[in-house]
Amino acid sequence: MTIDWWTLGLQAINVLILMWLLSRVFWRPVAAAISKRKDAVKAMLDAAKETQAKADAALAQVAAARDGITKERDTILSSAKCEADAATKAALSEAREKAEKIFAAEKASLARDTDTARIETTKQAAELSTEIAAKLLQRLSTSSIQEAFVSRLIKAITNMPESDRAALAQTTDGIDLVSASDIKAADKAKITTSVQKALGSTPTITFVTDTDLIAGMEIRTSHFVLHNSWQSDLAEILKELNNAAQ
Amino acid sequence: MTSPLESLVLFYLGPVPITLAVVTTWGIMIILITGAFLLTRQLDLTATKRQAALELLVDTIDNQIRETSGAEPAPYRGFIGSLFLFILIANWSSLVPGIEPPTAQLETDAALATLVFLSVIWFGIRGSGVRGYLRSFAAPNPVMIPLNMIESVTRAFSMFVRLFGNVMSGVFVIGIVASLAGLLVPIPLMALDLLTGLVQAYIFAVLAMVFITSAVEDGAHHSKHKPPHSPN
Repeated sequence: MTIDWWTLGLQAINVLILMWLLSRVFWRPVAAAISKRKDAVKAMLDAAKETQAKADAALAQVAAARDGITKERDTILSSAKCEADAATKAALSEAREKAEKIFAAEKASLARDTDTARIETTKQAAELSTEIAAKLLQRLSTSSIQEAFVSRLIKAITNMPESDRAALAQTTDGIDLVSASDIKAADKAKITTSVQKALGSTPTITFVTDTDLIAGMEIRTSHFVLHNSWQSDLAEILKELNNAAQ
Repeated sequence: MTSPLESLVLFYLGPVPITLAVVTTWGIMIILITGAFLLTRQLDLTATKRQAALELLVDTIDNQIRETSGAEPAPYRGFIGSLFLFILIANWSSLVPGIEPPTAQLETDAALATLVFLSVIWFGIRGSGVRGYLRSFAAPNPVMIPLNMIESVTRAFSMFVRLFGNVMSGVFVIGIVASLAGLLVPIPLMALDLLTGLVQAYIFAVLAMVFITSAVEDGAHHSKHKPPHSPN
């Protein structure tokens, strides 16, 4: 067995050339492609991480903003609720005060109206009752009533103060005796005697008829009137009723 | 059938005899370089199936180098990868009728072992410097210097003998069986020869990487002036 050194050397050179050529046309291009892809993938991953970090930051910012909005909303709602409660209370208080004022005013107005109506009604009732009484008393105008009024007249003259009676007795113009109906002559004389006796003098007495008196006998002079009739009584009653109503 | 230990000289270039193994090697070189050139013409970021297969091959070799040496594969990729591809194609060339694999010849395997021997020295000096590399022979103590020097030669010699023995024996057996039993009988042996060729290429490349790594690491470990580092 011998070794061909030429062949050994040639084969070594051949393999060296092969290694050099393969390094240039195969190993380096493929390794460069792998490295390029790794770099591209790394760049994409870095970009993705950066994007993710930005997204996380944006998400955190949105979450913080959302929390802030929630707190602000709660604050606004709470504030609005307090304001609404205060406004409601104020409105209720104001409305209550207004209602109370209106109620008081209406109550006062109603009381006034009621009083006015009551007074008016009382007046009307008094007037109506006096009218009814007058009409009823007109039917009772009899001689006995006339005599009763003459007696009341004599009594009234007797009860007059002395000065007034003396002034009445000394009148020169004469005295009018007013009655609701015509008086018979005999009765006139009798009445004249009784009056003069009560006065203690003999003034001139003239009999006058006034149907408005309803019934009664009154003394009238130019300066003096002695009421003694149902008309005057009813007028007095009506006056008292009106005063009582007010 | 000629002896596998003899080289068949086809012609002479001056005083230089051109054997069949050399011509076959040239053929393999043309095929490998042309194929590599054609396959790597249009590499892009978006990988095609072809590019993905090429990248898978390179990535596998890189991982193997990384696992074996623990260093970055770039400085060793060209040497180890080309060694593996050449031995693999050369071993499998026996499947082509009429072609005798170059690795079945002593001179080719001896040339490959010589290249490995020289590359161990080259990478050792490159990684640790001349002093560091020479100091690695004194590990673990100066007494071991002769043994380490002999070992550096014998392990390259063992690689060359292992490769030659396995490939030559396969070719020899297939030739004997084919001459005795006809055309179809050697097929199982040829299939076995495929596996043997792949395993031998792998063993040769891995052993070369182990020897280089050992030289680099020992030199870096025993260098007093340089901190240990990987050759990049």
